[in-house]
Amino acid sequence: MDDAAAMGPSWAQFVEGWSLYRDPILCAAICGAVLGWLGVHVVLRRMVFVTAAVSQAAGLGVAVAFWAAMHLPWAISPVLGASGVALLVAAALALPVERWGLSRAAWLGAAYVATWAGAVLVGDRIAQQAHDVSSILFGSAVLVEPAVLHAVALGGLIVLATHLVLQPALVLCAFDPDGARVQGVPVRVLEVVSWTGIAAFTAIATRALGVLPVFAFAVLPPMAALALGRRVQIVLPLSASIGLAAGVLGYLLAFFGELPVGASQAAVSASMLPIALSIRALTVRVKTTGAPGA
Amino acid sequence: MVATGEPLLRAEALVVGHGGRPILPAFDLEVRAGELLVVIGRNGSGKTTLVRTLLGLLPPVAGRVRRLRSDLRLAHVPQRLPFDPLFPLSAWDVVRLGTVRRGRALLVGHRETDVVARALEAVGADALARQSFGALSEGQRQRVLLARALAGRPDLLVLDEPTGALDEVAEREAVETLRSVRAERSMAVVLVTHELDIARSAADRVLLVDREGGRVLVGTPFELFEHEAFRTSFRPPLPELASNG
Repeated sequence: MDDAAAMGPSWAQFVEGWSLYRDPILCAAICGAVLGWLGVHVVLRRMVFVTAAVSQAAGLGVAVAFWAAMHLPWAISPVLGASGVALLVAAALALPVERWGLSRAAWLGAAYVATWAGAVLVGDRIAQQAHDVSSILFGSAVLVEPAVLHAVALGGLIVLATHLVLQPALVLCAFDPDGARVQGVPVRVLEVVSWTGIAAFTAIATRALGVLPVFAFAVLPPMAALALGRRVQIVLPLSASIGLAAGVLGYLLAFFGELPVGASQAAVSASMLPIALSIRALTVRVKTTGAPGA
Repeated sequence: MVATGEPLLRAEALVVGHGGRPILPAFDLEVRAGELLVVIGRNGSGKTTLVRTLLGLLPPVAGRVRRLRSDLRLAHVPQRLPFDPLFPLSAWDVVRLGTVRRGRALLVGHRETDVVARALEAVGADALARQSFGALSEGQRQRVLLARALAGRPDLLVLDEPTGALDEVAEREAVETLRSVRAERSMAVVLVTHELDIARSAADRVLLVDREGGRVLVGTPFELFEHEAFRTSFRPPLPELASNG
């Protein structure tokens, strides 16, 4: 057996193929940063499984788009399919289910299971595209089409800019919705704008990277940032930075370790949490005793 | 700027309740700039429901609440804020949120920074500014929430039992703060409290909520404290119960 092959890919190979890897790395960086930022709002509202359900719905949307291209006389863009089904599920999640005697958590579970089952069933009907569908569900996409990268960049810019501009009002709505209403802040409108943005970007990112890394970026970097930061102005950019780093490092881990990309990005995101908790514990110890080892 | 005595909010044949079921009879009320209206009543009498309806947080069962100025600024200090203690906000950040209004959702600038500092100072909470809001005691949180309300420079401030978590000194200071801010800005204050001394000594008018008697009465402290409804609502405990407890 060749020694070089046994050692796995080298930096020289990575540099040589940079033109191939640049777009997926850029895409992962943008998705990690934007989802890291948006995920803080999601985690603080204790609604992390909304992202899971919406990204799973986006996966179903992509599978439906592939199926439609094969069986219907017109073609639907996979990004459009992902966004359409994701927004539909996001709207369904906002329904006042308590009036029907259902709990919100159960409704969320139902949406997750239904979209997951739907994606597997539709995927089964499009055997020729099985690899693409699997990439979307498990996040094993190694390359990213330029059109998808552009959609990620533009969508990320719009959603992030909206959240930046509305940040104080969004924080107020999450912290004290009644107080916000009394102050004349249009809470419902802001919620719709915020969640539509989150759902739309989750859909675009799912098309680009897959369900697993998207869910990971929306949950794990915010958790790590919340363990480290005590003010929302710090937590938001910190979470975005951790998400960006997880996206890039996850891709590198997949390349050099010859591992699935999505799972590598999720694993790197997950590794950020114990690191953050260790830093937090160390900081607390230094503050209380004056020395790390004391 | 509103003029003292100018009507700000009017309740017309207002019936408050939950899920379409009234808990109090219909009443009329006008809140005027610069006044301190104290709301009293027994536990569970519907005081919180009443103020939440006035604020637009609950729909009226019947009647209506009219805001008499289109630019009316309201602020609310709830009895207890059901917040997540893990929310990463310092006391300063919480007070800054009081400056967020419709059309002013952009990042705050220098003027708001001054407003926040002055609001914290007014309630004697400037030393808490950098502390995490979740780590504060109940009483400190109430002071910060009062500062948040003041930072919004409201025309009408509604406080729902804000002094419940304060010690005696802090409570007196809070009432004194409200008195000075009210005089300075012609701000109306609706204060829900169990402290009858505050109602007697500081209120311009008192609103008595008597659910058992099916009455909502408004008048000067003198009129209300002499009213038979007040004596019925706040009758002293029976001697044998008092001696047991």
